[in-house]
Amino acid sequence: MTDAIAQSFIDTFERERDALPGAGGWLAARREAAIRELADAGLPHRRLEDWKYTDLRDVLEKAAFAPAPAHQGAVLLPEGDAGSGAALFHAIDRHKIVFVNGRLNHALSDMDGLPEGVALRPLAEALEQDWAKAAIERRFDTNPQAQSISGLNLALMADGVALHVAEGVALDKPLHLIFLAADDGASHARNLVRLEKNAQATVFETHASAGAAHYFADQVTEVSLGIGATLNHIKLQDEAAKAVHLSTMRAALSEKAKLDSFTLILGAGVSRGQTFVEFEGGEAEAHVNGAYALRGEQHADQFCVVDHAVPESNSHTHFKGVLDDRSQGIFQGKVIVRPDAQKTDGRQMTNALLLSRDASVNAKPELEIYADDVQCAHGSTIGELDKDALFYLRSRGIDEMTARQLLISAFLDEALDYAPHEEARAELKALVAGWFEAGSLSAEDIV
Amino acid sequence: MLEIKNLHVEVGGNEILKGIDLEVGAGEVHAIMGPNGSGKSTLSYVLSGREGYEVTQGSIAYKGQDVLEMSVDERAAAGIFLAFQYPIEIPGVTTMTFLKTALNAQRKARGEEELDAVKFLKLVREKAKPLNVTDEMLKRPLNVGFSGGEKKRAEILQMAILEPWFAILDETDSGLDIDALKTVSEGVNALRSPERSMLVITHYQRLLDYIVPDKVHVLSKGRIVKTGGKELALELEKSGYAEYGADEAA
Repeated sequence: MTDAIAQSFIDTFERERDALPGAGGWLAARREAAIRELADAGLPHRRLEDWKYTDLRDVLEKAAFAPAPAHQGAVLLPEGDAGSGAALFHAIDRHKIVFVNGRLNHALSDMDGLPEGVALRPLAEALEQDWAKAAIERRFDTNPQAQSISGLNLALMADGVALHVAEGVALDKPLHLIFLAADDGASHARNLVRLEKNAQATVFETHASAGAAHYFADQVTEVSLGIGATLNHIKLQDEAAKAVHLSTMRAALSEKAKLDSFTLILGAGVSRGQTFVEFEGGEAEAHVNGAYALRGEQHADQFCVVDHAVPESNSHTHFKGVLDDRSQGIFQGKVIVRPDAQKTDGRQMTNALLLSRDASVNAKPELEIYADDVQCAHGSTIGELDKDALFYLRSRGIDEMTARQLLISAFLDEALDYAPHEEARAELKALVAGWFEAGSLSAEDIV
Repeated sequence: MLEIKNLHVEVGGNEILKGIDLEVGAGEVHAIMGPNGSGKSTLSYVLSGREGYEVTQGSIAYKGQDVLEMSVDERAAAGIFLAFQYPIEIPGVTTMTFLKTALNAQRKARGEEELDAVKFLKLVREKAKPLNVTDEMLKRPLNVGFSGGEKKRAEILQMAILEPWFAILDETDSGLDIDALKTVSEGVNALRSPERSMLVITHYQRLLDYIVPDKVHVLSKGRIVKTGGKELALELEKSGYAEYGADEAA
């Protein structure tokens, strides 16, 4: 039986299918298959182990989002709005692409002015490229649930961009994708990134509200790195307090390729970030790191699967978070080392700092190792602010609030230092500092 | 400067200090000696305001103010400083950042202008040099990976920069070799002045060869059982604490 919320997405699909990118082409059949899968399996719910802590079906059923409309009228970029995530990275020289309600906004975007060898196209125009088709059709079979939820996106994805960088070419400056929600409702976007042999690029993503309060942002990014290619990636999630954010990154790495990804989560009421990495060649490296700071009733779930199928690849995952009030953080990670993946170096760590008795964290780092000559480590810590450290700082005249902020910043900085772009990293740190000032780090919270 | 009257302190329901009376005048250096478990560290923590030390009777007045009414950071800003026996490691906060934050927090609390980066750096360099605190140490996270001697030198550097009026040195000599002891003592002596008082807590007489006290108090089982001049420390070194009710082996 199809659940009501899955049915509402199916209805949307039936209504919009002929207007979606790729209608009439190869993608139409894939969309059909995906919507059938959704009808059979429904949306993920808490009885599925991987969704144990985030019942997406329940969340979306309660929220009952209608499809987000195409925004009418102008949208102002909140560039000068200090303290807002949407104001970040504007001082950095970059190529700017703006999406409003999940749709590419040409007026606000710089689609031109890219160096030779770099192609940036709207999703609909890229679908007939072989690499784009291969990226969309790739099955990440390590996790069937990931398949079903990216299936929702496959069925309904309405827009996105496709970045292709030719062999040996380095993108001259970061590509900044800004996703703004201007109207309430659900939107589904998909971005494709293909770096050919020895190509390099830096991509920033910002996810924020530009007026909308109650919305569902669903996004999938497909990353495919050729031999020796390097992608630096920074994602800032600063969605509105009642928004639901669902994002999936699927990355395939060839020999000697390097993915360096960092995510900062400050926003959204409920969010789930999924990362799937597969190694296709040796001596490749994947860094999937992040930091989060939550308060109120916020709920953030990070799910990360790294699959080592070939020898001599390295992965490093480290998420650190602070949680105040009644917020909830979840980290689920899995490193798989297949029989052929000798000499793998796989690391996975998560640390959380609870600032309130009512905040909670669930951490589930897993290792599945089938090879014998590997170095793997995983771990998790959950704690509170060190009372001795607080006393020490205060005994030097630092007031309690400042002492707490200093210790929390020091805790998060270790993760923020992973962000693979110096200026962006400094801006992220300043934004986190602002998070403290806006917050409720009151003495009553001290446990 | 400091006046303690009939101070009783409990920790976890156990009475540790059982009626301390102590008066330290401006410019004076007093030593508190005593066997392990006599309450020396409890006295230092209750003066600086650590949680978990409950004053059940008595009073502490500092420059005429009721210390027990002041928060930990208010005491620090008013000029009370504790050099820790075991300085705490603070990962992620560099020594430099910490020093600047502390100094400016105190200046702000006193209504003084905060020091800018240039003036602050000059001040730190000037104070760090005689204590052999290198730039490299200043860039490291506070006390993280510091040797025992480095930690104690860093404590005295903090004291030199914060310029407190009443400093408590809690077993500052523990874990120091003779050269480090000299460096640290010279640092402390450089801060002696007619307006600044110190309470030097130690188990051994050795430190008092370098930091010569005006008065020596023997603390045993939560009470001051004897008070004398600096020669009292020498006597204790010979006879031990046995006559004050402690096992020599303690």
